[in-house]
Amino acid sequence: MQPYQEEYLANLREITALSAWRGPEGLSFDGYAARLLENEARVEQLARRDMELLRGQFFPLLDNLFAADGAALADLEAFAARLLGRPEELDAGLFCQIRQALLSMARQNRDRADAIRELYWLGMGRHSRVSKLVGLELPLVEKFVTQMRLCFTEAAAYLKYYDEIEDAETRGYILRSRANIALGVFKSPGEKIRLVKQTLQILQDKGYQEKAPELPWDRYIYMTHQHMASSISYSKDTAMSAEDMANIMESVYTVNQRQIREAEERGERMPIRWVFPYRAIEYYCGMHSLEQLLAEIEKLMDAVDPGDFSVDGMYGMVSLLAFYCQYLQQYPEYLPERAGYLEGLYRRMLAYVDAFPRDQGEQKLFWHLRQLAYTFVEIDGGLPYGDFVEKLMLRFAPEAYVHAQMVGEAAKALCGLIMEDEPAYFDDIDFLRAVRDPEEKRQAVLDFAEGCGVFHDIGKIDVIELFSRTSRQWFEEEYEMARLHTSAGEVLLSQRPSTSRYAAAALGHHAWYDGAHGYPAAYRRLECPYRQMVDAVALVDWLENVSHSARLYTGEEMTFDEAVEAAIGLEGKRFSPLLTARLRDGRVADRIRRAFAEGRQRAYRRMYEDACGSIAG
Amino acid sequence: MEQKERNGGSMGHLVVERDQSGRLRVLFADEGACAMTGLPREALLAAEPEQAVQGLESVREVLDSSHELWILGVCGRRQAAELAQANAALEDALKAAEAANQAKSQFLSNMSHDIRTPMNAIVGMTAIGLSHIDEKARVQDCLSKIKTASAHLMSLVNNVLDMSRIDSGRMTLSEEPFSLADLVHDIAVIVRPQAAAKQQSLQLEIGEICEENLIGDPLRLRQILVNIIGNAVKYTQPGGVVKAHFSQRPAQAEGGAMWLDFSCEDNGIGMSPAFLERVFLPFERVQSTTISKIEGTGLGMAIVKRLVDSMGGRISVESEEGKGSRFLVELPIPVQPQGRREPALPVGETVLVAESLGGRAGQISAYLREGGLVPVHMAAGLDAVTWLTEAQYEDRMPCALLLGQELVDMQVLDVAAHVRQLAGKDFPILLVSEVDWAQIEYRATRAGVNAFVPCPLFRSRLWETLSKLTEGAGQAGGTEGQEADFSGSRVLLVEDNALNQEIAVELLEMTGVQVEVAGDGGQAVQMFEAAPEGYYDLVFMDIQMPVMDGYEATRRIRQMPRGDAGSVWIVAMTANAFVEDIRLSREAGMNEHVSKPVDLDRLLEILRGQLKPRPAKS
Repeated sequence: MQPYQEEYLANLREITALSAWRGPEGLSFDGYAARLLENEARVEQLARRDMELLRGQFFPLLDNLFAADGAALADLEAFAARLLGRPEELDAGLFCQIRQALLSMARQNRDRADAIRELYWLGMGRHSRVSKLVGLELPLVEKFVTQMRLCFTEAAAYLKYYDEIEDAETRGYILRSRANIALGVFKSPGEKIRLVKQTLQILQDKGYQEKAPELPWDRYIYMTHQHMASSISYSKDTAMSAEDMANIMESVYTVNQRQIREAEERGERMPIRWVFPYRAIEYYCGMHSLEQLLAEIEKLMDAVDPGDFSVDGMYGMVSLLAFYCQYLQQYPEYLPERAGYLEGLYRRMLAYVDAFPRDQGEQKLFWHLRQLAYTFVEIDGGLPYGDFVEKLMLRFAPEAYVHAQMVGEAAKALCGLIMEDEPAYFDDIDFLRAVRDPEEKRQAVLDFAEGCGVFHDIGKIDVIELFSRTSRQWFEEEYEMARLHTSAGEVLLSQRPSTSRYAAAALGHHAWYDGAHGYPAAYRRLECPYRQMVDAVALVDWLENVSHSARLYTGEEMTFDEAVEAAIGLEGKRFSPLLTARLRDGRVADRIRRAFAEGRQRAYRRMYEDACGSIAG
Repeated sequence: MEQKERNGGSMGHLVVERDQSGRLRVLFADEGACAMTGLPREALLAAEPEQAVQGLESVREVLDSSHELWILGVCGRRQAAELAQANAALEDALKAAEAANQAKSQFLSNMSHDIRTPMNAIVGMTAIGLSHIDEKARVQDCLSKIKTASAHLMSLVNNVLDMSRIDSGRMTLSEEPFSLADLVHDIAVIVRPQAAAKQQSLQLEIGEICEENLIGDPLRLRQILVNIIGNAVKYTQPGGVVKAHFSQRPAQAEGGAMWLDFSCEDNGIGMSPAFLERVFLPFERVQSTTISKIEGTGLGMAIVKRLVDSMGGRISVESEEGKGSRFLVELPIPVQPQGRREPALPVGETVLVAESLGGRAGQISAYLREGGLVPVHMAAGLDAVTWLTEAQYEDRMPCALLLGQELVDMQVLDVAAHVRQLAGKDFPILLVSEVDWAQIEYRATRAGVNAFVPCPLFRSRLWETLSKLTEGAGQAGGTEGQEADFSGSRVLLVEDNALNQEIAVELLEMTGVQVEVAGDGGQAVQMFEAAPEGYYDLVFMDIQMPVMDGYEATRRIRQMPRGDAGSVWIVAMTANAFVEDIRLSREAGMNEHVSKPVDLDRLLEILRGQLKPRPAKS
């Protein structure tokens, strides 16, 4: 690899380590806060350096890719491989840029083998990003899933010429691409199951196997069975045909048998993540009632060792709980008698998260928890959903957490000032207008402002890699993906009673006041009953982003004073003139600036307490 | 007046109305009055009464506070029989006047309500807008409501004027050549948003169409059809279905004419048998408790009936309350005499049709087969991409991809984007859809779509578009090697790297375009400044260059005091693909951004979008 590529990778690793630092390592709070600031400054320094490297050496290489010599291309391949290597996925976005460029070149040179390989890897790069979008419905992620799927589809189409292609490596890419077409979400489970079934038929065809005996056929077939078996987790009983179930059942049985055998050989019990599909398919086939399936899941969850931090432990402690909640969401009549038990599971899960070793696969745990964030069932008097997702942010997305706390504090401060001048300002919002007592109303407004601020970016948990571990500005595709956080936040918050009020702020905080720009299209300001509050959150969020949090990713970078000036310049366009008019008063701007600092301190304090283990659940 | 006939033995009668300002107007005139004044009835009704009867003897009898009966030609030798006859005529006239008066009162009552409703909105929204003048979005909302109310008001006034024109015989139908396809698309553009606003399924279908180039009054035809479909949308609940169907059959008796058969069916509120009898009378509207706030003059269907009658056509309606209505219109429309010129299609070539709507795919395939092409139909994007990959490998690429409205597994534009990469720069991709092209044009062209054929689908449109995109393909046996010809266009390529210059120049020159090269931004600015206005049609601008970078060069070009400084299309060409880079290039005044390594397809797409290709050589 080229020295700049090595340096880029080293910087990325350092950034990952700094982002993962949770402390407190015996530090006092002041020492802890100072260390966080130091880390942040260092991340910024490294990111700026990485940008320099890309601008100075990487982009010029792509600029002249057709003239690049073999060594430079080999280095580029090696660099790409490290960016998406296992176990660490350092930079899937840059990986995709490289693969896209190499694919263009392969197409241009009409090099079939290269094109197939690059299509496969571009598909894998895209899959890496799509697989992080846990729980989002197809309409939101369809574009990204389709982009990935079409890469695999094109590469897999060469299966027809399998006999003509002589090198086993290219044949392997074709077969793996064929299997990967079924990755990601589909409009119906049946479509996915049909594709996996076809792949299995191809892989089990002796004709293909005999022509490339060196390929790991057993592994291909077994992984495809696993893919089929795991698709049960995403399926709903009402959406599957008898044939679908039979196909899944066959794979579940195959996986189950092998797992039993392997577990016996290792002298261990059967992994829970392969027991559940077996139980589930028995239910889908009508052999058990839902009551029995729930009892089976309960038995499996109860058997999990709270000290087991392996992949299977995480699955049993979190993913199974997510599936359990999914059934209760779908059939709420089963909830009342399980409410107490479910609450106990939540508490146990939180304790597990607290006890999880800081240096051991936290991102994997976060992935499992994101599943739960989408299926979480709120119980009267039980763990509020808001507390759960706030905990997720604090623990796994601290940068986003700090930003959210700062915005919450600043939104509260701004609304407090507005209420002093105009106590009826938020009376467009029904539940606030209904509060008669002026002091109570003021407090209700401040609480609502703070909640909206704290939860407005909750959807970032789905695209957190873009916000917390990217060491450079986003590419256009990444920017498009980052925008999903608004819709994702709305989905998460709107479905639970205790957070539904904050959903509008999550959805609308990047929309423009005049509707001319911004996103998402689903937010229509004039139809939103909470728009006055969303306006306030949008303003303080933007001020914080451009002056601090998002400047690295978007390249929009200003001091706080410049940001205030710019916001006033966008009066009536991006921001409500009723709010920017207040910004002209220097005292208001100062109060917001102070609130940002207070919010940061508060966030740091909670993170410190969490790190010290003083918050239990 | 000099021509007036004087006939001492006869009489004439006028009923004259006096309005609030005291102005007189003839409401009724019998034949005697016409004969005596020497004026045809229409002229007499429009004339100033005193002037019209000037020089004639008359007796005036007051009928009520605003009406008088004027008896013309009365002399002392009046006979009793004549008087009795006159009185009988007068009674008839009075009844007619009263009936007209009652209809007018009813009309005024309806109109005052209907006019007041949008006026209330206009006045109210103006007040709200003024009180929130600092809130741009609020004012915008008010203005948009005012716009809607004003449009409604305007339609009321237009309907009243139309009715008045038709009733007074002042409306004439034009006879001009028009295209049925244009007419139907115009109608679709008008009615689709109305149906979309109510989340209705509006299905515009085309049956057998023999002749698209017709002669008639397209404006009045549009008025008839929009009125009927618009009514169906208006009287159908949100989420309902409205189906309109157009077809033709030869008119046996009328040489060179076709019957246009139009039907419009909905599952709306329907009409009672009693109302059904009055549906074509003026000022009649369905009263419904299920659909509130339906507004209109009640003149629409009366106008439609009169227009259809005046075109020699027929209109009928079937309806059942609560279930829906079905209007049938048959109109004889002459065909344009000149022979139809069929577009040249690459006969025998394959066209891949990717569409999951069965009916649409069937129609596209049928039209393609009629044109001598071979359609291959796929309903899934995955299947289409697989088929194309195989076809490319086997060197049997279709002459085009026709993407429909929907696919079973993915969005059509996502498929277009991938196929553009897969199949290369020249491969024609057409979108056949009923979506509003203006809404998706940017995304579709970026995805690589070359052309759009709107639905409802007409064979002529499909053939013409396909013909344009595949010119020469039949002869060449495919689209390989076919290049667009942009000779006569001039491009300024600003690029410091010699190899990149060479590649880009070679590529651009293949299309016939004249390329001039600047080695850095400073040189580009000098060359642009020295060239006459309009000399360069397009500028491809690298960003990172010595002496002066692409941003600065663009800014300087944009600031030049010359006509083309602001309008020349400048494309950033750089590997710097961060969102900031794209924003900076826009801020510097560039119109587009192309990533490096240069994607040849993308470059050609830009040429196609910005330059006019020369007509194909015969």
